[in-house]
Amino acid sequence: MAARLASAVALAALAAVLLAAPAALSSYHRALALAILADIALAVGWAMFSGPTRYLSLATGAFFGVGAYASALTIARAPWPLPVLAGAGTAAALALLVGLLALRLRGPYFAVFTFGLAELVKHSLIWYETSVTGTVGRLILAPPGPLVLYYTVLLTAVAAVATAAGLRRSRWGLALVGIGADEERAETLGIDTVRVKIGAFALSACFLGAVGAAMAPRWTYLDPQVFSPLVSFQTVIMALVGGAASLWGPVLGAAFLGLAGEILLVKFRYLYQVGLGLTLMLVVLLLPQGLAALGRRRRA
Amino acid sequence: MTGALLADIVIGGLTTGGIYALVALGLNLQYGLMRVLNVAHGEFLMLGAYLTFSLHTGWGVPPLLTLLVTTPAAFAAGVALHRLLYARVLAAGDTGGLEARSLLLSFGLLFVLQNGALLIWSADLKGYSYLATPVRLFGTVFPANRMVAAGVALALSLAFYAYLRRSLAGKAVRALMQEPDGARLVGIDVTRLHARCFGAGVAMSAATGSLVSMLFELTPFMGLPYTVTALVVVILGGLGNVLGSLAGALLLGLVETAAVYAAASDIRVIASYAVLSLILILRPSGLFGR
Repeated sequence: MAARLASAVALAALAAVLLAAPAALSSYHRALALAILADIALAVGWAMFSGPTRYLSLATGAFFGVGAYASALTIARAPWPLPVLAGAGTAAALALLVGLLALRLRGPYFAVFTFGLAELVKHSLIWYETSVTGTVGRLILAPPGPLVLYYTVLLTAVAAVATAAGLRRSRWGLALVGIGADEERAETLGIDTVRVKIGAFALSACFLGAVGAAMAPRWTYLDPQVFSPLVSFQTVIMALVGGAASLWGPVLGAAFLGLAGEILLVKFRYLYQVGLGLTLMLVVLLLPQGLAALGRRRRA
Repeated sequence: MTGALLADIVIGGLTTGGIYALVALGLNLQYGLMRVLNVAHGEFLMLGAYLTFSLHTGWGVPPLLTLLVTTPAAFAAGVALHRLLYARVLAAGDTGGLEARSLLLSFGLLFVLQNGALLIWSADLKGYSYLATPVRLFGTVFPANRMVAAGVALALSLAFYAYLRRSLAGKAVRALMQEPDGARLVGIDVTRLHARCFGAGVAMSAATGSLVSMLFELTPFMGLPYTVTALVVVILGGLGNVLGSLAGALLLGLVETAAVYAAASDIRVIASYAVLSLILILRPSGLFGR
């Protein structure tokens, strides 16, 4: 009871800090906080599906990019929160389509397929833009102000954490864990694995697309390079460093690597990515359950 | 269709396919034997290309002779990487997480190698001209370096295939692919063989890089497209199927070359990703798979 009270107080304090933060921060630090919140939403959104099922999705870049493009295309015609919803909806639609095609693939085949998907969408879009529309990208006119963006991304991150927490307690979440442990057995026990998986994949894509849509106005010019494999890998690494199977693991990993990344990425871009690669290798070799497990082990 | 155009597509496709064959064979050896999906495979191709470039432009070593340096160096690096990284994951023995964990290790390796290369050589295009003299064949013209590179790549692939069929070590490798537990029972040193095969796979990728450096300009990003191509070929030909890989590589080379003639050159990447997606959906065990 005391532990539950303490964590409730801690959460309330965290919420107050995050809500008040933009007023106290300089524009640089506000941009930094925005980027980290976006990373958290991405890592939590990714772990919603890939954490319990252990299906390694590398399609994050595709959902992020689709969301960003949907936002860029609708932003001139619709009032602000609508482009974000459009991004979430488009990403979820793509996830349903991909899920129907790909979710019978297992293990590394699924990872390869989702990786190929992001590249396929990117190169098709480059081809379409250059040969059909004759442009290389989209200009975003009249983006919403930085405060609006901050609260949008904060809300997305909070919604992602709340959804992930709710999912873990639901029958649906238990079914996902069952699939991750042994898919044949889960099927034998009467779980409709296809529906459970595709539903979770689409739910996860909603958040990834929403983050893409909310972050799109930060660039005034959007081109197909937004479908970056770096987004996919970085998200996986953040979630795994923190611990993809736990609720707070991806949050921890994203905050830790997001902070390191945003500071180092500007100054030492390549060195940072070498470090990211080494971190991933070390985590796989030494800490398969992530940072979150380190805390658990100490407490136990 | 004129005879010259047909010859253009066939020769162009087969030379492209010959190069794909060698890089794909290396990946197939690693995945077919130890279920390590090495997405950093193409990065070794990139490193091989840069090594040849440095040796050729720095010391004037003929590019073909640099194979004598790049191949053994890559083999040693591959054996070391296997001992240092993959053997630990394989030894953990958790079959469900094994493929995912070795995949993640390879992603880490990809980041380290690609960005390490960016730190050393920068993102600028680098290249040299070698054997660019034109050769006339069936009414079309091809640069000599392309024929030489494809010829050497195909010869190395066939030599490796013959080695697998004929030698005792090759027999052990085939035994391990077909019946891992049985191979252990008859006294095959699995860990040592794994390390050597991983090294051989890395060596084939680096050798392909040395050959490719004669044809195209180099960037630190050149590896990933070859990884994807190799994956397409391996999935096309079936995992662990060496002859299937060779046939798949030549087939993919022809399809891609024809696609470039039919549409535009930027369609090539889309074509190979589309082929990969389609095969994965329709035939998860490959066209020639069991």
